[in-house]
Parts: sequence; structure tokens; C-alpha cells
Amino acid sequence: MQSEIIIETRNLTKVYRDFWGRQKVRALKALDLEIRRGEIFGLLGPNGSGKTTTIKLLLGLLFPTTGQALVFDRDAREVTKNERIGYLPEESYLYRFLNAEETLDFYGRLFNMPRAVRRQRVADLIEMVGLDWAKRRQLKEYSKGMTRRIGLAQALINDPELIVLDEPTTGLDPIGTREMKDLIIKLRDEGKTVLLCSHLLADVQDVCDRIAILYQGEMKEMGRVDSLLKVQDVTEIRVTGLSAIAQEEVKRAIEHNNGHVLNIGNPTTTLEDLFLKIIRESEEHPGRRVRGVVEKT
Amino acid sequence: MVIDITDVTPLFIWLLGPEWTEGRLFHPLPLTVFLLLLIAGLSWLVVRLRKGHGSTDRGAARAIGGGSAAAIVLIALGIIAWKLLLLGKAEEIAWTLTLADFAEGLRNSCFKGLQWLLGGGWHQGALYWWFLVIISAAAAVFVLGWLAVALRRGPIKALETSGRAIGDCALDIIRISPRRVGALAWLGIKESIRRRVVVVFAVFILILLFAGWFLDPGSIDPARLYLNFVLTTTGYLVILLLLFLSSLSLPADIKSRTLHTIVTKPVRSSEVVLGRIAGFTAVATCLLLIMGVISYFFVERGLAHTHVIDADSLKTVEYAGRPTGRQGVTTRVHEHRHKVVVDPSGNGRVETEQGHWHELDEDWKELLSKESAGKKYQLGQPEGMLLARVPVYGKLAFRNREGESTDKGINVGDEWTYRSYIEGGSLAAAVWTFQGITEERFPDGLPVDMILGIFRTHKGNIEKGVTGSLLLRNPRDGPDVKPTEVEIFESKEFQIDNRLIPREVRTPDGKKVDLFKEFVSDGEVEIWLRCVDMAQYFGVAQADMYLRAHNASFAWNFAKGYFGIWLLGLLVITLGVLFSTFLSGPVAVLATFGALLGGLFHDFMFRLATHQTYGGGPFESIVRILTQQNVTSEMEPGLRTTVVQTLDQPAAFGLWLLAAVLPDLSRFNVFSKCVAYGFNIPGDTILTYTCRTFAFVLPLFVAAYLCLKNREVAR
Ligand SMILES: Nc1ncnc2c1ncn2[C@@H]1O[C@H](COP(=O)(O)OP(=O)(O)OP(=O)(O)O)[C@@H](O)[C@H]1O
Ligand SMILES: [Mg+2]
Repeated sequence: MQSEIIIETRNLTKVYRDFWGRQKVRALKALDLEIRRGEIFGLLGPNGSGKTTTIKLLLGLLFPTTGQALVFDRDAREVTKNERIGYLPEESYLYRFLNAEETLDFYGRLFNMPRAVRRQRVADLIEMVGLDWAKRRQLKEYSKGMTRRIGLAQALINDPELIVLDEPTTGLDPIGTREMKDLIIKLRDEGKTVLLCSHLLADVQDVCDRIAILYQGEMKEMGRVDSLLKVQDVTEIRVTGLSAIAQEEVKRAIEHNNGHVLNIGNPTTTLEDLFLKIIRESEEHPGRRVRGVVEKT
Repeated sequence: MVIDITDVTPLFIWLLGPEWTEGRLFHPLPLTVFLLLLIAGLSWLVVRLRKGHGSTDRGAARAIGGGSAAAIVLIALGIIAWKLLLLGKAEEIAWTLTLADFAEGLRNSCFKGLQWLLGGGWHQGALYWWFLVIISAAAAVFVLGWLAVALRRGPIKALETSGRAIGDCALDIIRISPRRVGALAWLGIKESIRRRVVVVFAVFILILLFAGWFLDPGSIDPARLYLNFVLTTTGYLVILLLLFLSSLSLPADIKSRTLHTIVTKPVRSSEVVLGRIAGFTAVATCLLLIMGVISYFFVERGLAHTHVIDADSLKTVEYAGRPTGRQGVTTRVHEHRHKVVVDPSGNGRVETEQGHWHELDEDWKELLSKESAGKKYQLGQPEGMLLARVPVYGKLAFRNREGESTDKGINVGDEWTYRSYIEGGSLAAAVWTFQGITEERFPDGLPVDMILGIFRTHKGNIEKGVTGSLLLRNPRDGPDVKPTEVEIFESKEFQIDNRLIPREVRTPDGKKVDLFKEFVSDGEVEIWLRCVDMAQYFGVAQADMYLRAHNASFAWNFAKGYFGIWLLGLLVITLGVLFSTFLSGPVAVLATFGALLGGLFHDFMFRLATHQTYGGGPFESIVRILTQQNVTSEMEPGLRTTVVQTLDQPAAFGLWLLAAVLPDLSRFNVFSKCVAYGFNIPGDTILTYTCRTFAFVLPLFVAAYLCLKNREVAR
């Protein structure tokens, strides 16, 4: 069953120009994306590959040079779509002279929420991100992780249907990271859609349903995490309680069938390997889609 | 002393007429009904559109967009058709809507009274011109936008895009949410506090503390000095503060990227802009309120003083050997003394000096008796210093030395031509005709205030002022009826001289007559001014004599003066916010400052642009400076001159356009001037200036909104 498309980009291209209109950077080249309701989508890529640019285009903070970005089937430049979106920026761009409660209340007012609803919601969120003990302190006194937490609370103030997280786990302690990942999965389970970008591949591997890998503004790979990580021409046999003689026997049987034993032990194919491989291949053959496997769900 | 207002149009009489149905409001009744229906229809539309679900519905936007496009086309067709069919002549299609007319309209929007707003006919008032300018500007933007898109995507697609853009724009403004604007305004206030607005208070108090050193309460008109000082200081401080606050705020948010978190909420650009304007306006209001109160007490305290009458120093005046009263002076405080006169019946008074007098709490009779010997009497606080006079102005005409009518007096040469002069000891006179003079308004007679310029051809008695006389005449009398002298006075130079022409007037043949019966017809009266001393001259202009109907409350007038600063502040805030939507912080500050300066030198810019000044445009001036020519001589004809003057054409046009668009800020000082000189600020002036301010604020707001909407916030 195909669920509703939440984000769609068609041929989305962004060229940064300087003051004189000269072309400086082609930050994004002809990106085509489709993100459906209820999935966790991860954008991966090395520094400067265009992840943040994509997110900003989707939120209407930047205007596309060519192509189209649609969110909830509306142009990304329309402000009213924001009623259903929560956004956690790369760094938490919040007013440092407000305290946690004022901050959340302020953003609540921007959603036109009535006072009573706002008060309840603010209290719940502060509780959820574990900042109850510091809610009356100005944000300028906050540590990086604390600011990050209040940023997250701010992104959830309107109970959004689509949550856009730009590097959600940076600055969080291991417990915070764990909680963040749990939260993302919980949100998905509530039927929400999550778009996140991150460098922390382990995190992405843990939570994402699908990923796209960007390199220098081009999409190199996109698909379901499980199928991308499946090494197609390698068969994995996992057994317990096999004696050394029995192992020798199995090995011989494989070689007898023209198989080749690579190694017997625990397989370590991870997203990290995949990522490094794609980047390496991209450097060798610029401009080519690496595997061309676009898995439809 | 020039006061800008020379007439007072009572708004309600104009609107409703003497009987409440005769005024303009009901004059063409169908028009009124039509207007009411139009307003009702528009309100209904606005309410309907506001109701729509939070999201922009494309249908509404398209409808509005298509409608506007159609309206523009229809209006254009209508104008062409009207020109062709009604006038019938092809050469008449010269567009009446030329830029020169716009400029004229803009400049005319600063007329006096209320007439300026709607004009005599519907197409003469400032409102009409304002709409014309706004609609033309909008149409120009629309057409430019359409062209830009049409080049890339073709005309039909472009029409749809730009139509939708107009629709979006209308919806963005109609669907502004008060709660969001409130939140953003609150943020602006918080930010101002964080930026230490309080420091401005400290500076203000500090200035007031040191002001005592250079404000001399003994000067000739201390009230004017003090009032001018506080109003100017507050004005400059507040305007400067608002300039920085408003033009640095958005750029700071863009730089720190806090704006990203805001515009990714469902906040319209219109709300961001309006929120800023509202927030800073709130800050300005609070600042001005507090500063106003402080200034009021500062002025009162600074001017406060009393004098003491030493009873022993009063001389007894004798008439025919009998004591008839006492005379003397008070002690010297603030570098002046007052004359004290007690008449035999025990009526005492302290004469006016430096524009004020004092009252004595005790009974004056005591001063006549023996008991007063050796006693000192303390006078009360100054009276009549802080005033808000409500003047009734007249029309001025002149008589020459033979007594014949002329439209001008004599120009004595060395003086500013603002005043015309009448010669002393001759039949020359300045004649003011006043209207609306009734017994009910002036039950005690006519209180006349005069400010006379004096020109002496010989020293005369330099201690004494030049003697003048006031005469009355009924305007309905035949030309040979001479005016009746009612008052002889000694002039005071550079001071307001107040005289009361009593109701009971003695005619030359000794009869006593009532002023209103004898000299007033249909509420009109002529007051003549003559100079009595030979070969001395009085200089007068129209506003130099007026009747003082009554005094309005000074505190209220003072508040009105601060309202003038508030209006100017609102303009500055809007300008600052507009520039900050597309410029970086420091550049926005400079641009706002430039616009302010331009507004202050508005008249000069206009004269420069229309070649009413010497020395030509910028390029010609440079050539003149380099070749060391003076500014009045003609340039030598030749190639250089032609090139230079051709180059100056576009420069002059640019300047002219700028002058036509910028508000004339120099006029806003009418508020502080009125307060400082002690005149009531009429309601009309307040209405006029409020309208003028909002006439600029509204389009500036829309422009700011459009700039922000089309800006990539994340660059
Ligand atoms: N405002 C800007 N002006 C010019 N170039 C820019 C601007 N912002 C980003 N770029 C360029 O666009 C490219 C993509 O940048 P982007 O911020 O999208 O990368 P990213 O994938 O988010 O990187 P990171 O992992 O470091 O956050 C980079 O080459 C960057 O230099
Ligand atoms: Mg980034």
C-alpha cells in the first residue's frame, strides 16, 4: 500500500550566487526525492554536500534556482504549510535573552495557539526534554546540549506531522542521543514523517527507514537501509555450536560447489562501509550514479 | 515667529453643516449611500477572507489576482475610452496621469484645514491623489513583475503567476493574525530592553541635569526657551534611538539566524514587518510618555520662582496733595523685577514681565494701611507663562500714508520681506478683518495679541517703545467712514503684546457704545493698527495679530506636542524596518538616516531638482568649483556646457523623484513650535499630520512586506 507523498522535489537545483550575480557554488544538482507519510528518511553526505541546502529549500528559507520543491503538495514558499511542520535547525537559532518557558510560549503564539493550550503544551515539552530544572534561566546560560534540547522542544510545539531535523544528535550526550533516537522512532510510530540529516552513520542506520546519499550536490544513492546494506553476492550463514571439524566440512562442501569462503566469523558490513565505498567511487568516477539501485518501498 | 496654521476649519461643521444634514456628508445623498454600501461590501469581503482556513487557498488568491489584473485592464480601457469618446480628440490622449501630477498631489497633501483631504471636487483632494499614486505604483510593480516572468515563461503563464502574487499579497495582509503580531511585537519590546533602551533615559536625565547651566531662566522668553529645549532634546534622542532600533533589528535576526526559526513557523512576512513596527512603536510610546512627564515637571520647576514685595520700598503716589495709592517694584529674581501698583481702592496688581505675572495671596488693601510697615510680602508662582492660546486669525490689508488701500506696506529694505511696514505719524495702517466674532465667544471684549516688528529711523526715546494705536471700524461702513480709536499703547519689540479692547467704546463725540452693536456686522470686524510716532515704522504680517478666543489646557497641548514627535517616530520606524528588510544593518542605518535628512531638506531638494537654485545640478556645480566660477554667472556656451547640462538632466530627475516620494519632515516641527510659542495645536493640524503620516506608513509597510517576502532569508 502506497501512503501519501509528503515531500516531493522535482529537478531541484540551487546555485549560490554572489552579490554581482556570478555563480559561486552549485550546491544542489537536479535532486528528485519522494518522501512518504510515516517514514524516517535520512540525508547523508560529507560536509558541504548540500544536505542543509536541501532542507532550507524545502522550508522556503531559500528559493530554488530551477526545479520545484513541494511539501504537503504545496509550494515550499507558502508559509501556511509550516503549520504542520516542526524544524530543528543545524544549530539552535533561538533568542538568547528569553528563558525556556518564554521561548516555547513565544513559538506557541506564532502558531496562534490559545493561551491555555500553550501553557499545557509548554509544560509537557519542557518535561519531555528534561529541562524542568532550568526552565526559568535565560538561554544564553544554557550549555550546547541544553540549547539543543530546547530547540527540539520548539520544533515539536505544534505537534507537527512532518519533522525536519538537521543533525539532531550533535551536542547531545550518549543518553540524550539514545533518547533522541527513541523519540524519532516513537514519532514515526505515531504516524509522523521525519526527515533528518546526519553524519553519525550509526545513528542513521539505527533509525532510518530510507536514506539518500549526497555528494557534491548530487544524489549518489537512495533506498531502504536494509536492502542497501544487503551485500547481494555474499551469503551469510550464521550457526552456533559448530565444531572445528564440522566447520572444515562445511567449508569443503562450499568449495565443492564452486563457492569461495571469504571468512568465517561475524559479518561487519555496516553503513559506514557503504558510505565510504560510495564516496570513494564517486571521487573516482564523478557524475555517475553509483549503483543505480533505487528501491521502491 | 511664523505659525503654520492660519485657519481653523471645524471638522464637524464641514461634515454635517450648521444643521446636521447640510454638510458635505449628506450633500450628494446617493453618493453617501453608495459609499456606505461599498464600505459594507468591503468589510464583508474582508471578514469572509479572514475566516478562510489558516492555509492560503489558491482559489481565493487566484480570484483576487485575476480580479486585480482585470481591474487594471478595465481602468486603463476606461480611461482610454473616456478620453476618446468624451473628448473626441485623438491628440487629447496625452495622459493626465503624468508624474508631475503625482508630485503635485503629494506636495498638495499638506494643505491646511481639512479641505486638502477631499478637495472641492472629488478629484482634487489629497486622498484621491494618494490613491492614484498608490494604484499607479502597484500597477507599475505588477507590470514589471509580469514582464520579468513573461520573458522566461511566456505571457499567459506570467499573468497567472503575477495575478496569484497579488492575491497572495492581499491575503497575507488581510489574514494578519493579531496574536502572532502581538507575539512578534512583544519580542521587539524585549529586544529593545535588551539593547538597553534604558540608557537613553539615563542620557536624558543627565542632559536635563546639566541643562541648568545653559538654560537661562532670566532670558526674554524663558518658557519658549525651556519648552523648545525639552521638545528638541526628546525629539532627537527618541528619533535617533528609534532609527537604530528599527534598522538594526531585522539584520541582526538574519545574521544570528534567529529569523530562520521564526519564518519556518506559519508566520507571514507581513506579520514579521508589522510586529517589528508595532513593537518599536510601543517602545516609542512608553519612552515619550515617561519623557513627557519628566520634561513637564522639569519645565515647571525650571521656571518656578517668586518675588518679594518689600512694603517699605513702595512709594506713595500723591494726587493733588492726597495719597492715592502706592507704586514700586518687586525684588529681582531670574534677572527681572515686576512693577507693582496698588490703586486707592485697594486693587493691586503685579505687571507682566517676561510673559508672566504673579498673584499675591494676601489682601492688597493691607499694603495701603499702616500695618504693612516693615513687612515683606511673598508673591505666588508665575502665572500666564505656560499657555496654549487659541488664536483667531484675520485677513491683512494695508493703507498707504494717504489712507488709500494697497496690498502691501513699505519694504524697509534691510529686513526679511516677510513683514510689511507702515509709517508712523501718517494715515498708513495695517487692517485686519476678522470673521466669526460673536458676543458669546468674546463676552469681555476683544483680547488682541500682537507681535510687532519695529524699525526706527531715529533713536527717539530709546527707553520707551514706539507708540501705536488700535482702531475699530465696521466692515459694512462706507469707504469714507473713519475708524474709531480705541487704544493707545507703547509697543514691546519681539514680545507678544496683549491688549484688551473693552466692550464699551467711547466714540470721538463722547458717546459710549457697545463694540458688538457698533462695529461688528455678520461676525466681521476690522481692526486697524497705526503707528503714532513720526518717522518710526511698524512691521506686520498676517499672523502678527490675532484675537485670543480662550486658552486651552497647556498640559494637553504639551501632550499634543509629544504626539507630533510620536508621529515622526512612527515614520522613522517604518523607514528603518523597510530598509532593514533588504539591506544589512549599518547600510540600513545609513539609508534611514539619508531618508530622514532628505525629508528635512525636502524643499531644498525640490528647488534643486526644478532648477530654482543657482549653480545648476551636480555636474555643473563641479565644473563651476573646478573653474572657480561664481554660481550666478551664466556658463559659457559650448560643448562642455552642453555635456555637463545634459548629464545633469537625469540627476535632476532622480532628485525630483526622490523629493516627490520622501515625506516633508521639516513640517513636523509645527508641533514643537506651537507648544514653545504658546499656541494651541488645532485639531485639524493633528488630523492632517496623522493622515500624512499614515499616508506614508501604509505603503512603506506594504513595500517592506514585499521586500521581506521576496528575500531569501537564509542567504
Ligand atoms: N550562503 C551560502 N553562500 C554560498 N555558498 C553556500 C552558502 N551556504 C552553503 N553554501 C555552499 O553550498 C554547499 C552545500 O552546503 P550545505 O550547507 O548544504 O552542506 P551540508 O551538506 O549541510 O554540510 P555540513 O555537513 O557541513 O552541514 C557548500 O559547498 C557550501 O559552501
Ligand atoms: Mg549542514
